[in-house]
Amino acid sequence: MTRAEINDLILEIIADIDEDAEFDDLDADKPLRDQLDLDSMDFLDIVMELRKRYQLQIPEEDYPELATLTSCVNYLEPKLKDK
Amino acid sequence: MADYQLIIIGGGLSGLAAGIRAARFGLKTLILEQHSLPGGLNSYYYRHGFLLETGLHAMTNYAQAGDRHAPLSRLFRQLKLSRKRFTTHQQFSSLIRFPDVSLQFSNDLALLTEEVGHHFPHCRAAFARLVTAVRAYDPFAPAPWRSTRHFLGEIIPDRLLIDMLLLPLMVYGNSEEHDMDLGQFVIMFQALFLEGFFRPHGTMKDFLAMLVEHYKGYDGELRYRAKVESVERQGDRVRGVQLAGGDFISCDTLLSTVGVPGTAALVDWPPQADKYEGRMSFVESISVLPMARKESLAADHTIIFYNSGPTLAYCRPPTAINADWGVICFPENFQDLPATDVFQVRITNAANYHIWRQASRQEYQRLKADCEALTFARVSEIIGNYHENRVYHDSFTPLTIERFTAKAQGAVYGSPIKIKDGVTPYSNLFMAGTDQGFLGIVGAMLSGVTIVNQRILK
Repeated sequence: MTRAEINDLILEIIADIDEDAEFDDLDADKPLRDQLDLDSMDFLDIVMELRKRYQLQIPEEDYPELATLTSCVNYLEPKLKDK
Repeated sequence: MADYQLIIIGGGLSGLAAGIRAARFGLKTLILEQHSLPGGLNSYYYRHGFLLETGLHAMTNYAQAGDRHAPLSRLFRQLKLSRKRFTTHQQFSSLIRFPDVSLQFSNDLALLTEEVGHHFPHCRAAFARLVTAVRAYDPFAPAPWRSTRHFLGEIIPDRLLIDMLLLPLMVYGNSEEHDMDLGQFVIMFQALFLEGFFRPHGTMKDFLAMLVEHYKGYDGELRYRAKVESVERQGDRVRGVQLAGGDFISCDTLLSTVGVPGTAALVDWPPQADKYEGRMSFVESISVLPMARKESLAADHTIIFYNSGPTLAYCRPPTAINADWGVICFPENFQDLPATDVFQVRITNAANYHIWRQASRQEYQRLKADCEALTFARVSEIIGNYHENRVYHDSFTPLTIERFTAKAQGAVYGSPIKIKDGVTPYSNLFMAGTDQGFLGIVGAMLSGVTIVNQRILK
């Protein structure tokens, strides 16, 4: 997957778990949690979707890597390069 | 490889929510329900062409669709159900009725605040402090048991107001007698006074069918009339379940929603299981009247919580029932419900399980009639004659509850001691549901979700 594809994947997963999510003013370098008003249960859903779709195991200590859209892409790029 | 990654004992609301959550993320999941219908305590049955609901008076934890952090909204997101497409009907208003004073409340805290200020002017500031304290308190942080009565006594300088506030909060979710754990009080205060009552559109049957369909949409499997006879163990792990019919089914993880006493009967844990038997059970009387009779009753509120004594005696009565306090619910009194031909009056009174248990079949029927008369004497003083022109009547007792819900001694709110983390001595056996500490329909479902998140998905 390219960086752009991973970017779209994350947005698609968030849209899927949250029917209210609005991405128009999303700043890729600011925390998703604050901008989209996500809580820890929502973050677990992102992790679980990645596991379900790509058999990707993300350990709990790595959850901070998913804070912003950019950090998500950085973290997932090597893991999804062959997917 | 095990037959299932997850087996859930019990197809009530916590089991269904846990099942949806697990199946949604691809776990091969099986729910085993001993009866032929889902729902457990919150189910339904048919008599005389009427669909009668069990358990449900009202759902608590009302939240508007856009209120993202409210328990109801989080629950729907976690289950991937659309809150926007879920139609709700809010209550009109409810009443806490004591001999000399009554307090109204609705889904807008302003009404209760105004009522407290009007009837208890010396408690106006104290009530505001209480609301602030409740909002700031995290009931889910691990904490030792703390007395709610002591906590309230330090804030509110009036025993009557304390009892009045406690009546609805206790009767809708307290498994202890006389007092309650502060965390549980905060959960109930939020659920009833800060969030409030509503009904889903349609019946409990529709709501359960929606959940079952959603679960099956994720390839979740559900077997009815599947009573678990024993749990097979190997060292500190469980291997699977033995069904009453003879089938053995293996699993990687087992989730029990049948309470501590029910679980103890399957796995010999915990050692003193009787300590976990709750003492609060109830008799419920359901009267179905022609809608036209509503006009002649004092039946404008959604729910009336009444107490005819000077203080509240929230405990198992020494007699078959205690009609001196209870709940009168009018399930047709929610906003914008479609018109119906009938009007129901549902009355709940505390009951003594042992007296019902010991009664012979004949005595049992006589007890039912006697209790109905006691209830009528009290309740007709409040709302008028709800027996006249009644088209149908039924009642259920602690025995009915025990038989249909697997709640030991018919204790609807389960054990007075909760297993909050859902953990047992067996490394792959967990508990969810009433005895894990969440109550009400929304609470039970969040319990299933939380335990799957914390113990199974992570």
